[in-house]
Amino acid sequence: MTPDTAHPAGDEASAIDLDDERAKVDPALFEADPAEPPFARSVLTTPLHLVTSAESRTNRWIRWNGYTVPEVLTDLGDEYRALRGTAILADHSPLVKTRISGREAFDYLQRLVARDLSLLDVHSSVHVIFCESGGRVLGDGLLFRLGNEEYRLVTEESHLAWMAESAEGFRVRVEDVSASIAMLSLQGPLSASCLAEAGLEGIEKLAAFGALWGHIGGMPLYVSRTGATGDLGYELWTDAEDAPHVWRRLMERGASLGLRPAGFALRELARLEAGLPRAGQDYLSAFAAVSAADAVTPFELWSAPPLATEKPVFNGGRALRRLAGERPFRRLVLLRAESFEPASLSTVLCGGRSVGAVTTAGFSPALGANIALALVESASLEGNLSVTACRREGLSSREALLPVRILPAPAWNSARRVAIPAPLGL
Amino acid sequence: MERHDAIVIGAGLNGLVAAAYLAQAGLDVLVLDRGTAPGGLASEHEIAPGYRLPRFTLGSGGLPPRIVSDLGLADHGLRFIRAEGGVTCFPDGRYHASYRDGVVYRREISRFSRVDADAFTRYRRDMLRAVRRLAPLLARPAHSGARGLFGRLRAQLAHADLIAAMSPDDMRDVLRLWTLPASDFLDTYFEDDFVKAHLAAAAMIGGTLGPCTPTSAARLVLPWLAETGDASGGAPETLMPAGGTSALVQALVSAVGAAGGVLRMEAEVTDVRIRDGKVKGIVLANGEEIEARAVLSGLDVKRSFLSLFQWKDLPEGLVERVGRVRMKGVAAKVNLALDAAPVFPGLPEGCPSIGGGLRLAGTIPAMERAFADWRERMPPRDPLIDVLIPSLLDPSLAPEGGHVLSALVHYVPEELHDGPWTGERRDALGDLVMTRLAEISPGIAEHVIAIEILLPDDVENEIGLTSGDLSHGETTLDQFFANRPFPGAGGAETPLKNFYLCSPSAHPGPLVMGGAGANAASTLLAAMGKRGRA
Repeated sequence: MTPDTAHPAGDEASAIDLDDERAKVDPALFEADPAEPPFARSVLTTPLHLVTSAESRTNRWIRWNGYTVPEVLTDLGDEYRALRGTAILADHSPLVKTRISGREAFDYLQRLVARDLSLLDVHSSVHVIFCESGGRVLGDGLLFRLGNEEYRLVTEESHLAWMAESAEGFRVRVEDVSASIAMLSLQGPLSASCLAEAGLEGIEKLAAFGALWGHIGGMPLYVSRTGATGDLGYELWTDAEDAPHVWRRLMERGASLGLRPAGFALRELARLEAGLPRAGQDYLSAFAAVSAADAVTPFELWSAPPLATEKPVFNGGRALRRLAGERPFRRLVLLRAESFEPASLSTVLCGGRSVGAVTTAGFSPALGANIALALVESASLEGNLSVTACRREGLSSREALLPVRILPAPAWNSARRVAIPAPLGL
Repeated sequence: MERHDAIVIGAGLNGLVAAAYLAQAGLDVLVLDRGTAPGGLASEHEIAPGYRLPRFTLGSGGLPPRIVSDLGLADHGLRFIRAEGGVTCFPDGRYHASYRDGVVYRREISRFSRVDADAFTRYRRDMLRAVRRLAPLLARPAHSGARGLFGRLRAQLAHADLIAAMSPDDMRDVLRLWTLPASDFLDTYFEDDFVKAHLAAAAMIGGTLGPCTPTSAARLVLPWLAETGDASGGAPETLMPAGGTSALVQALVSAVGAAGGVLRMEAEVTDVRIRDGKVKGIVLANGEEIEARAVLSGLDVKRSFLSLFQWKDLPEGLVERVGRVRMKGVAAKVNLALDAAPVFPGLPEGCPSIGGGLRLAGTIPAMERAFADWRERMPPRDPLIDVLIPSLLDPSLAPEGGHVLSALVHYVPEELHDGPWTGERRDALGDLVMTRLAEISPGIAEHVIAIEILLPDDVENEIGLTSGDLSHGETTLDQFFANRPFPGAGGAETPLKNFYLCSPSAHPGPLVMGGAGANAASTLLAAMGKRGRA
C-alpha cells in the first residue's frame, strides 16, 4: 500500500476536470514518463487512478505490477455482496497486454501455447497456458483474437523476452501494449444489465469468452464476456484516455441497479471462490522460480489443463506429452477449513508431516468458511489433511491445527457465467 | 618464555575474525601486527585532516550475517549501510543504474530494452540459483578437517551427494557458468550492449579476467553472493560498514579484546619456529621468541611460506608449489579528498544509486581491450574505474561539506612491458583518472584538496601483499575451492603441522569477507577437538 501516491501532486493531475468529457488523461499517469527517472516514483498510477481515488473511503492501496490500485474502496463485505448480488466495477488496468500480429501470428501462437487454437474465431478468447521446454508453466492468460492476423495476450506477468525469443523465424510482431490499454472489470449477475443500461445494445447475446466492439457514451470499447469470478462478468478494454469517462458513465447508469466500485481484495476473494490460480501467488513462472522445485507443471495446477498433446510441435510439447501419462507430484486443490472465524492458514499437514503449502486463503462468505488454494502432494490427497492456522488474540498469537477437506467443486460457479442469452435483471 | 594457545600473524580483517572466533572458544590468543594500527588491507587513513577513507580498497562489502552474529559484532558497534547497487557511466554520457526494487529496476532496463527488462527475471533466477549452489561451499572449509580414513571417506561421500543431487539441467547450468566468457553468457539473456556492460562491469572488478575471457562468466555471480533471493525482484545491493572500514576493524578488535585476546601492534614476525616438523612458535624482529600451540598466518600464501620460514625447513616440494601460485596485481587505487560534493549533471538529480558507487566503463569490447592492455603490460589507456564516495551516505567520513572519493582503477599492470612505473607514468595515470572523473563530474578537479595514487607495487611495499594482488591469489577455478591456495593444500590447513592460513589465499578467498578467518578458526578448533562456535 502506498497512501502517498493516492493523490498525485503536480499541476497536470489536478488540472484534469472530471466533468469535462473532452478532458485528456495525462498519459504519464499510466506509462512511465521517459523524462522521469525510474526511482522518482516506485509505483505508477493507472488511468483510472483519479476516479478510484474519488470513490475510496478507506484510502487503502495495493501494489500490482508496478501500479497502485485500490485494495478496498468501501468495505470488503459490501463489495462482496455487490459482486454476488448486483454488480461491481474494478480497475484491472495493470494486467500485461501483449499484441501479436503478422502473417504468421497464428502459426507462432500455435507453437507458443499448449492448447489448439484452430477453433479460435475472431472476437473470441480462450484461456491459454504456456510452458518452457521442460513442461514447467511460464504463465497463463487470456488470448483474444482481434482479427485474422491480430491477437492480444493478457497475462498477470510480463513474458516479453520469452515471447520475442520464441518469435524467431516467424513473420510476426510482438509488442507490449500494456500502457495503452486500460481495463475495467464489470462483474456480477447484473453486469449485463449495467452494460445495457449504459447503452450497449445486444450485449446479452454475447457468449462466454466472446467479445465485441461497442460504444459507451460515444467512447469505443472492446467488451469481452470474461472474468475470474465464477459468475457472469465482462471486461471492458478501452483507450487509456477514455477509461475514466467509461467508468463514470457506467457508475452513473449502473447506480440504480446496485453497481458498486470494488478493489483488488475482492478480485482475490472472487478468484479464490472460483478456484482459479494466479501467477506469482499460487505458482511461480518457471523463469522466476529460484528453487527448481517451485516450478510447477500444468497437471499440478489444473485438473484439466488447456493443452492439446496431439498438436505436433509446441513449446514444452515433448515434456508435456511425457508428463500427461504420469501422476502429478503435487496438485493445486481448494481446501475448506472447519473453522468459523477468519484465520490465516499456512502449512498443510498429513499425519503430522508437512505435505504442502497454502498459496491463497480467505474467508468465503458463500460457504461461510475459510477456504484456501494449496499445493499438496498427490500421495497425501486421500489422507486426513489439516492446516496450521494462526490467530491473534490480544497480544498473543495462537496456533491451531484445523482439519480441512478438499472441495470437489469451486465455492462459486454460477450457471449465469455461460448462459445465453445473458440474464438481464435478476 | 611467553606462551599462548594460538598466535595470529597480521591484524587484518581475516586475522581478527579468526582471533575472535578462537578467543571466544576459550583459547588464549595473541594477534601480532607490524603496523601501528590494526586493519591491514582494510585499514583506513586520513588523506587530509578529517578526511578518512580505506587506503587500499574500495571499502564496500559486508561481513556475512553468520560471522556478525557468531561474534556478536553488533554489540561491538558494527552497523552496515545498505545502498543501491551503483551506476555505470558510459563514455557517451549514458548511464545505467541498479535498483533493488524490481519494478523500478525493470523500468530502468526498459530505458534500454523492454525485452531485456523481462529477461532480467530469468537472469536473476539463474544468478540466485548459482548462489544457492555456491553458498554452502563457501560457508565452510573446503576440507572438512576430518582425519583418518573413515572421516575423509565420509567427507568425500558428502561431496558426492551434492553432485549426485544435481539434475542434468543443473549440471549444464553449472558448466555454462564456470566455462563461458561473461560476454557469451550475457548474450544468452540480453540484447542491449549497455545492459550487458553494466552487469559485466560490476563483476569484472578485482579479477584477472576480461569479460570475453573464457571462465569469466563465473564472476557474474559475485555481486549476488549476499542476496537472499527475496521477492523484490531487483538488482543486488551494495553493503558498506557505517563509519568506514575502521569501524569494522574496531568492532573486531573490540570483540577479540572482550573475549580475552591480546593485540600487539608494531610487532613484526620475522620467523616461524619449526621443531620435529611441527610449528612451535614465532620470533619477532626484536629477537623475542613466543611459543604457541598453533600459528595462523593472515599473510598471503607466498609471504606466509617464503618469508616466515627458513626454506630448508620446509617439506620437499613446498617452495616450488607455493612459487607456482599465481598472484598478480590488477588494480591501482586513487584516493581523493574533495572540499565540496561532486555534481553529476549527466545523472538524474537525487539518484539513490549513486551512493552505491559509480563505474566508469565502456561496453564489453572496450573492457576487453582494457584487459588486453593489462595482459600486455601497457599503461592503461581506457581502464575500468570503480568509484565509491562513501561520504555521500556516511557524512562522518569527512568534515562538513567535504567528501572522500575512492577509485579502484582496474587492469593496471604491476610492471610495465618496458620497465617499472616511473613518476611520469604514475602522474599520467592520475591525470587519466581525473579526466575520466571530470567527464561525469565537470569541475571536480577544482575541489580536490588531496590526491594519492597507489600502484600494485605500493600496496606490496606498504603492507607486504605479494604483487599487490588484492585477491591474495587469482580466483580462477584452478586456484579455488579445494585447490586454494594450491592443489593438495586446500583450505586453512598447510603441510606444516600447527600452521594455518587464515588469509584469503585460502578458501573461500576474497569471495566471502572474513570467510577465510572463520574457516581457519573452525579448522584449528576441530583439530584441537574443541567445540567452538566457528
